Amino acid sequence: MAKIIKAKINGILLRVEEGTTILEAAKRVQIKIPTLCKHPDLPPSASCGICIVKNRGSHKMLRSCCTPLDEGMDIVTHDPEIVEIRRTVIELILSNHPNDCLKCARNNQCELQELTADFGIKEESFPQFLRDLPIDTSTRAVDLDPKKCILCGRCVHVCQELQDVWALSFLERGMKTRISPAGDIQLADSPCVKCGQCSAHCPTGAFVEQDHTAQAWKGLQDPDKYCVVQIAPAVRVSIGEAFGYTGKNFTKKLYALLRRLGFHAVFDTSFAADVTIMEEASEFEERLLHGNRPLPLITSCCPSWVDFMEKFYPDMIEHFSSCKSPHEILGVLSKTYYAEKNKIDPSKIFMVSIMPCTSKKYEITRNDEMSASGFQDIDAVLCTRELVRMIKQAGIDFDSLPDEECDSILGEYAGAGVIFGSTGGVMEAALRTAHYFVTGRELKNVKFESVRGLKGVKETEIEIDGKKLRIAIAHGLGNVEYILNKVRDAKLNNKEMPYHFIEVMACPGGCVGGGGQPYMVTDELRIKRAQALYEDDDQKQVRCSHQNPYIKRIYKEFLGKPLSEKSEKLLHTNYKARPVYVK
Amino acid sequence: MYTKVILVKDTDLKREDKTREFYTRLLDYLREASLHEQIQVVRVADIGVYEQGLVVKVLPDKVTYINVQDEDVKKIVDAALSDGKIIEDLVFKPKAKQCRIVLRNCGKIDPESIEDYISSGGYLALKKVLGELGQQKLIDEIKISGIRGRGGAGYPTWMKWNFAREMNSAEKFVICNADEGDPGAYMDRSVLEGDPHSVIEGLIIAAFAIGASKGYFYIRAEYPLAVERIQKAIKQAYDYGLLGNNILGSPFNLDIDIRLGAGAFVCGEETALISSIEGKRGTPHPRPPYPSVKGLWGKPTVINNVETLANIPVIIAKGGKWFAQIGTQTSKGTKVFAVTGKVKNSGLVEIAMGATLREIVMDICGGTLSGKPIKAVQTGGPSGGVIPENLLDTPVDYENLQKLGSIMGSGGMIVMDEDDCMVDIPKFYLGFCVEESCGKCAPCRIGGFQMLGYLKKISEGRGIPEDLGQLRRIAQSMQKASLCGLGQTASNPVLSTLKYFEDEYNEHILNKRCPAGKCSSLITYSIIEDKCKRCGICFTNCPVKAISGGKEEGYSVIQDKCIKCGRCFDVCKFKAINKK
Amino acid sequence: MNKLSPADLDKMSKAPVDKPKDWIKVGLSSCGIAAGAEDVFNFFVEEVKKRNLQIEIKKCGCTGMCYAEPLVEVSVEGLPSVIYGAVNKEVATKILEKHVISKMLVNDYIFEVSI
Repeated sequence: MAKIIKAKINGILLRVEEGTTILEAAKRVQIKIPTLCKHPDLPPSASCGICIVKNRGSHKMLRSCCTPLDEGMDIVTHDPEIVEIRRTVIELILSNHPNDCLKCARNNQCELQELTADFGIKEESFPQFLRDLPIDTSTRAVDLDPKKCILCGRCVHVCQELQDVWALSFLERGMKTRISPAGDIQLADSPCVKCGQCSAHCPTGAFVEQDHTAQAWKGLQDPDKYCVVQIAPAVRVSIGEAFGYTGKNFTKKLYALLRRLGFHAVFDTSFAADVTIMEEASEFEERLLHGNRPLPLITSCCPSWVDFMEKFYPDMIEHFSSCKSPHEILGVLSKTYYAEKNKIDPSKIFMVSIMPCTSKKYEITRNDEMSASGFQDIDAVLCTRELVRMIKQAGIDFDSLPDEECDSILGEYAGAGVIFGSTGGVMEAALRTAHYFVTGRELKNVKFESVRGLKGVKETEIEIDGKKLRIAIAHGLGNVEYILNKVRDAKLNNKEMPYHFIEVMACPGGCVGGGGQPYMVTDELRIKRAQALYEDDDQKQVRCSHQNPYIKRIYKEFLGKPLSEKSEKLLHTNYKARPVYVK
Repeated sequence: MYTKVILVKDTDLKREDKTREFYTRLLDYLREASLHEQIQVVRVADIGVYEQGLVVKVLPDKVTYINVQDEDVKKIVDAALSDGKIIEDLVFKPKAKQCRIVLRNCGKIDPESIEDYISSGGYLALKKVLGELGQQKLIDEIKISGIRGRGGAGYPTWMKWNFAREMNSAEKFVICNADEGDPGAYMDRSVLEGDPHSVIEGLIIAAFAIGASKGYFYIRAEYPLAVERIQKAIKQAYDYGLLGNNILGSPFNLDIDIRLGAGAFVCGEETALISSIEGKRGTPHPRPPYPSVKGLWGKPTVINNVETLANIPVIIAKGGKWFAQIGTQTSKGTKVFAVTGKVKNSGLVEIAMGATLREIVMDICGGTLSGKPIKAVQTGGPSGGVIPENLLDTPVDYENLQKLGSIMGSGGMIVMDEDDCMVDIPKFYLGFCVEESCGKCAPCRIGGFQMLGYLKKISEGRGIPEDLGQLRRIAQSMQKASLCGLGQTASNPVLSTLKYFEDEYNEHILNKRCPAGKCSSLITYSIIEDKCKRCGICFTNCPVKAISGGKEEGYSVIQDKCIKCGRCFDVCKFKAINKK
Repeated sequence: MNKLSPADLDKMSKAPVDKPKDWIKVGLSSCGIAAGAEDVFNFFVEEVKKRNLQIEIKKCGCTGMCYAEPLVEVSVEGLPSVIYGAVNKEVATKILEKHVISKMLVNDYIFEVSI
């Protein structure tokens, strides 16, 4: 039992567990202390200096984000002196910020802008100073504009600690301090895996997704193009946040919306997730029963994870599922199967993916196999935040949109396909089908509760036909090392493999916590988003990918069977070791 | 063989040196009296007393007579030859004396010889700690001594130790902070170079106090000699079994390593120093948790400054009570200052806490080099403040200096005379902090930069009265909202000069004049025709050819070209250059 | 080397190493070295050897009188030990010839500061 601390904040007596910060404690008594650097996801970095408070009787001010409430403290969070100092600090930050909000991707969604408005700052009190630093657009996924950076350090912490990627660090010192890959190289030449968690956590417009809305609009306005679109599972449960809804599934509204935006056909990535499961479960069955390739099998739907593996764990390539990610599968199928069936010239098809992810922007030109249809399979990737902008630009009243259905034959999905958006979802979906493939029997209960939830590493055992399968699930790349070191150890020492099947998603919470999702995500929100996906699954008649009639149909009409020659050509890819640092 | 030596020195700066004259007089007298084979007379370069007229000192009696007149010669010789007779009305009674605890061995022993250190009583304190005292009594003794951290903040040393001792952890660390970085401060370097074993002994005792088995010296890489001497000393200590396993036959084990700092000023801050040792970027972290709870590698860690540690063996050897007698109510013991600037005897001075600034600067260091009056004294380096001449009688201790808007700091003391500009001085210090800010926290990083901008503006004659308000506003936010000591104190030089020398700021702002003649933008040089002898030396020396004319028609300064370097002013032998 | 026991330590500190009667100490800390103390030290070592003088040349740290570096402390039997400041080879020669050999203090270079 934690010790209980008694103290006062603004005269309100409260009791909190020992170790609770003043900032947290204040929230419990309905007091919001402003801060620019503290993010609910991250430990305090104590860099902005705005969350200062007073403890009566001391002349010093305390940073509430990192100071635990102590017995008998008498905290004042707001008085004229504190507010004046906060204002000065904000004004100082503004003196080192471009302040061209109108031209910024974060306009209206910027934490600095919001504080500036809250404090009623209307002029530049101190002379402006900006270093002339170029924007880094090298990743094709996330852009870094160091001029807009306020050095809160969130991205550095996310990149180093949460994601263990270490692409970002602080360079130089004093007023020259800036965020950059070590060695002052471009992001594309750094360990960056394009997960975009930096952009999801950045309080300003220093890290933003590379904006592809113009490309999308251009395609939509081109009379020669046949525009198709797909939405990823995780987008349907987060898009509502831009319009005031949390944890709500807007699948059918999104279908309607995308048609209003001008798409000729609206598909669902969840359908392709079902295809992924057919392929991946077959791979697993092959490895498990026939041992043609080694176990454990490791999932490969997450392009940041693939990039991370290629850079840091190339020795795991043989364990990787060769199956492409669902959105790439849908891309290639739209330009082959769909084009054939509907007699459309595939060169005219313009495929847009709506993703919770920045890495998918990079994935579409990852290697030649991303053009398996003979054309680039995906033409543009928009993340959730970009779609929100397009909705607003198009003047669509999101709230009162009607529900619509998606376009077959690449739309109807099984419950298994939609839970891909949450950590553990791919594993659960794969187990449902693998069970059938291995035993020939359907599961009575398709729910695998042990793979769900936000624990960083989930390890569990599942029994199929008396055989115990050890599985592991990690989300947030910082959690990968624990699992893969065990595999490495077993490989090196010829020991029994610790796992049969491993799922990894780069972003915390999986795609619901993706780098392209709406800002200010917390674990609470990740759970709500995931919950909405599981509800969708619960409500589906068809829960397993192999039962999806459209899946049966595509294999019958087009692909043959999983891992067939055609499947291998269109739906599979390969991997290669990549240098952590280019040059 | 001589029985006595009489040293002679005229100490009045204001008059022509009379040393030689008196020396001859004394010699003549001795010859006449046929005493010249008993007494040797020697002219000295410095006699340790200043502005007291002609001074003589008799050796080996060490009796000093001041304001000696020609007619005193006989009296002095008689007294010198007598047995212990002293001329009461001439004898000098020093007001201020150095009190050497930290510097006890510096300049006395060979720093590269552990035998020298041991033969002057070294490592006996360690023996006492290991053999008799034990942890509790050791910490009690340190508590009784009242010693506070000499790194600047003045936190009671025993409390640091006690927190760390009470932590239940298998691993604990001690670190000697030798990342001395204040401009003009080099006390720690001198101790490390001159008496490395005293610091090592202090560190071993600290480790024993908290139960640490690993210690580090964090020394800045710019101190190669200090590093070399500490390295040698550590090796000697290992050889003698004073480090390693079973120190002096006891069950206590300690290993010590050296870590080099890359010279970032902020790494002197405890949490940044820890980051640096861990191989991370040297930026401060929020406290709590304090290092004594969660420090290096997350383990309880005590970080003590060099000077603090050098005090420890003496405290143990002579007792906490003895130490507590020295100093003031709140600040015990001594403090070493590195006195520099416009002072005659720049160097290290160790005084008992409570000595006044005036005693340090005037009596021990001999006043200003130029003979011009002192304008102010700056203590505490870039985190300190400027103390004006009229407050120099303040006794030095942690609280008093803070009350004056300065701090004790690590012990830098810079003496300024009327040629120092009170806008230029804070500009220098602030410039240092802006350069050295780690860049992590906004108030320090941007606040310091903006304040520096205002100071530059004022010193260049572009200031407006509102700038002073802006300076104060930013300074307040830096003090209150910065994360670490660097940011919290970086504005002290500005605030203290604003407090004591606001007039001088206003001179710059309102009258576009720098009273000290320091701010080059506000100075003009011109040639005073009446005094000019047309020698042309200014013409030939001007680096930018800003002086026109010739030997016939005379010379003048082309103001547009002049870069205000002052070269003409310096080279003119006829004082014909006007600077205003 | 033998590890010391507490008793060894006592012995070492009570029975100091044989101190030679006459010695010259040169301050060899950074401030001294910067002012040329290393040259002075080497000069003394060479000259003492050359002239076959019975005096030991030792190193020490900085006494704090940085304004007067290089500092040399000289202790010769029969004379009070004194500190010479701003010592260069010329002064060092005087110290050897006058102070050490002729047992006379050298004029104008002594810094008699009570520490």
